[in-house]
Amino acid sequence: MVAEQLIDGRVIEACQQGDRAAFQLLFETYKDKVFSIAVYSSGGDRAVADDVTQQIFLKLFTAIRQFRGDSEFTTWLYRLVVNACLDERRRRRRLLPWGETVAMRNPSEKKPQEKQYARLEVAEAVRAAIGELKPKFRLPILLKYIEGLSYEEIASVMGCSKGTVASRLNRGHSQLAKRLSHLNNPAAWGE
Amino acid sequence: MFSKHVTKDISAYCHGELSHEESKQFAEHIIACAKCRAKFEEVKLGVKLAEQLPQLTAPDHLWRELEPLLGRPNENRSAVVWSWQMKAAAAVLLLLSGWGVWLVYSNRVDALLADKRAWRVKRLDGTPTVGAEKISNNGELAVGEWLETDANSRAQIDVSSIGAVDIDENTRVRLLETRPTEHRLELARGKMSAHIWAPPRLFFVNTPSAVAADLGCAYTLEVNDQGSSLLRVTSGWVALELENRESIVPAGAACETRPSLGPGTPYFEDSAAGFQAALKKVDFDPDAATRSTALNAMLDQARPRDTLTLWHLLTRVEGEDRARVYDKMAALFPPPAGVTREGVLALNQQMLDSWRDAMETTWMGFGKGVPKPLAEAYWKFKNGLSRRLKEMAPK
Repeated sequence: MVAEQLIDGRVIEACQQGDRAAFQLLFETYKDKVFSIAVYSSGGDRAVADDVTQQIFLKLFTAIRQFRGDSEFTTWLYRLVVNACLDERRRRRRLLPWGETVAMRNPSEKKPQEKQYARLEVAEAVRAAIGELKPKFRLPILLKYIEGLSYEEIASVMGCSKGTVASRLNRGHSQLAKRLSHLNNPAAWGE
Repeated sequence: MFSKHVTKDISAYCHGELSHEESKQFAEHIIACAKCRAKFEEVKLGVKLAEQLPQLTAPDHLWRELEPLLGRPNENRSAVVWSWQMKAAAAVLLLLSGWGVWLVYSNRVDALLADKRAWRVKRLDGTPTVGAEKISNNGELAVGEWLETDANSRAQIDVSSIGAVDIDENTRVRLLETRPTEHRLELARGKMSAHIWAPPRLFFVNTPSAVAADLGCAYTLEVNDQGSSLLRVTSGWVALELENRESIVPAGAACETRPSLGPGTPYFEDSAAGFQAALKKVDFDPDAATRSTALNAMLDQARPRDTLTLWHLLTRVEGEDRARVYDKMAALFPPPAGVTREGVLALNQQMLDSWRDAMETTWMGFGKGVPKPLAEAYWKFKNGLSRRLKEMAPK
């Protein structure tokens, strides 16, 4: 959040004029959030998320000239991110055999410390369950919990009403709870 | 709006997207409506799970691969726009990035974020302090901070959007946690009065000898210098818990606690003085003979409404004492069909619950307590999903 405060009108104006250094500042500020959404939207496939993140920033580099400041820059950016993730999903659905899913666990990840293991396992299970939600339920959850947007901001990004955001978050939360009902005990959280 | 079911507003409530008035009406509906409460517990679990979703770190190679793909920069414009302020901003960003990585790996991100969460504090009298700072009129109590009042000062805390807590003189409280699925205070000493309109088990107060779990109610809680506490409930229900020991305290009742022993047995404040004095010995006297004699005195003075106390005692006394408690209860309020003496003495949970359900209206009084449907809703809630959620809650 502190880093985002560095992105002001001058930085965006510099980006609009093709300044690479300014664009790198923009990239460094938002890359983790954009990458996170891409990972969760691609079912945990980091290679796909790498590609999607690059595509998003490539598109941003040219499309930022069209940003007129009618809305918050972050709203405009996340709209770009959401559309890119939806496009990628549509493309993958055409390529993947029906029912095929991608494993969430990154094999290169190191084993966590023992006492944190249970909570990381919960986080891992949540990641997997998020990946199984329909995009219309998954994306509001990612925008809420990864980006920290308000319902009004999510509505603006998604192009829907606040009521629709509330309803989709409700259903997304319910589906998460149902899919992960086995975690509803203290042992699963290492407590 | 809130006369109808409120399931569509559950996430908005958890995320603080409802207005103060809407939150209050939502909570009132949830307390009374079993259907919405069940859905609330489900969505609350979903929120708790989603909160575990970590932000990931983009790999370092992304920029290296991306940069050659970008178009050629316009060098003239760059020289004009890329001012020293922006260079400084970039340097700060790089520093922040490094600092952020360190924070993640030292597990301090949660603590840092938690520190930003705070409740509003209003001065009522004198000069209360938050940390080392005195509050003139209004202040903030952040997670981890202590609020203290002296002999001449009082304060009021807004508990997120779910209620208010009045802090009396000579009191020391700390905010331990505030998030959509849990708000928790620590009362180290002194006295506080809570008015909470949240659904059950969102607001907790830790004391040295028990945890008070709000079940939608108003109450006062007092902690003395020895760490003992006294809970007095004025509306709704409060649960006092320590490890496996639990006392459920309805409106009009009180309950004492002791360090290491946990919550005593709840009693109605309009019960006989001799009954209350004997109960104190039964709960806390170290001598077994004294406790047994005091139990006789209690049973002699018990009224039908005091079955609240006797029902709790069933699981806390043994052998002949338990049999005497059963016989007195059966005389005051005969057990319903299917509840047998042998079963109760063997602490058959189903029979205990069934008898308790039958006695609720007697406990709640007539026109003074919570209506029967609400009491029923509470017990169903307590025996259902909430039990598992309570077990999940951090100690």
